[in-house]
Amino acid sequence: MLKALRGYQKKTISRKAFNAVAEEEIRCTVILQELAGLDVVVDGEHRRESFYAFITDKVAGTQLMSLAEMLDFVEDKSEFEEMLRTMDMPASAVKNPTCIGRLSRREPLALEDLYFLRTLTNKPVKITLPGPYLLTRSMWVGALTRTAYRDPREMADDIVRILREELIDLRDAGCDFVQFDEPVLTEVVLSEECGRRTFM
Amino acid sequence: VHVCRGNWSKQEEVLLTGDYARLLPALERMQVDQFVLEYATPRAGDIEVVGQALSDRELGLGVVNPRTDTVEPVAAIVAKAEQALAFYRPDQLFLNTDCGFGCFASRSVNVEKIAFRKLCAIVEAAQVLRAKYG
Repeated sequence: MLKALRGYQKKTISRKAFNAVAEEEIRCTVILQELAGLDVVVDGEHRRESFYAFITDKVAGTQLMSLAEMLDFVEDKSEFEEMLRTMDMPASAVKNPTCIGRLSRREPLALEDLYFLRTLTNKPVKITLPGPYLLTRSMWVGALTRTAYRDPREMADDIVRILREELIDLRDAGCDFVQFDEPVLTEVVLSEECGRRTFM
Repeated sequence: VHVCRGNWSKQEEVLLTGDYARLLPALERMQVDQFVLEYATPRAGDIEVVGQALSDRELGLGVVNPRTDTVEPVAAIVAKAEQALAFYRPDQLFLNTDCGFGCFASRSVNVEKIAFRKLCAIVEAAQVLRAKYG
């Protein structure tokens, strides 16, 4: 799966070939959940680089960047590197959905995932989407994003619009549960230095 | 809406610690049906914190830690759910994992075999709870 994902990102394999690998993994994940006896089923997010960075595949004005690539654009490079070390997150393992232009939905974020999941199970299903706060915090990389937006708030308005459109599409398609993931909210209130940039 | 304290490392000490109290003003204002909250890890604090403030919504209660290799005992999951039942009706309660088993493609926090056994433990606990509370 990882080999196919990297190939798809580097454009050495086609979307169709990538999807074929992902769909096989999703099938296995659904079978395991049904075998366990879960009441609500997910697709395992096998197509996703991460639960939020995958949107670069769907949203115009974004670029998937490794943290190593991002280092060139953060204001305090050594502090950022130190933060990654203390948080036990190797820069190579995480990619950021950086905003580099005006944001708009090139295609639905997860509607196709819902349609495919529906072909595999009759149980209620859940689709997860990254929350607006997480996206605003991670997508804003000042040196790159200021060419498109004045400030994070202006960018956030577009993020909220995109997520709202997706939520309505999923609702209209009969999705049983839509979950917005906002892990970064705890960082705002629990981290000693909530103003600092982390990898999310 | 799902909230947790990070899910990228198996070293629990590098992840954040603290209960939901300081988030309540924000969570209370959200017009959502269900909060899916990390509670298997003791770093998330006491269920009472959200039980008292958010019991007008459903609770997706985190009952297994996706980052550990030991499977939570069914009895422990039942006991955790019963703590929540002091504040929530049975039909408001959902049993969940604290977070995903692999949120970052290059950084899965568990393997399929253990993930599957944790899901089975959740299902067993749900069966016990349904027999007891309907």
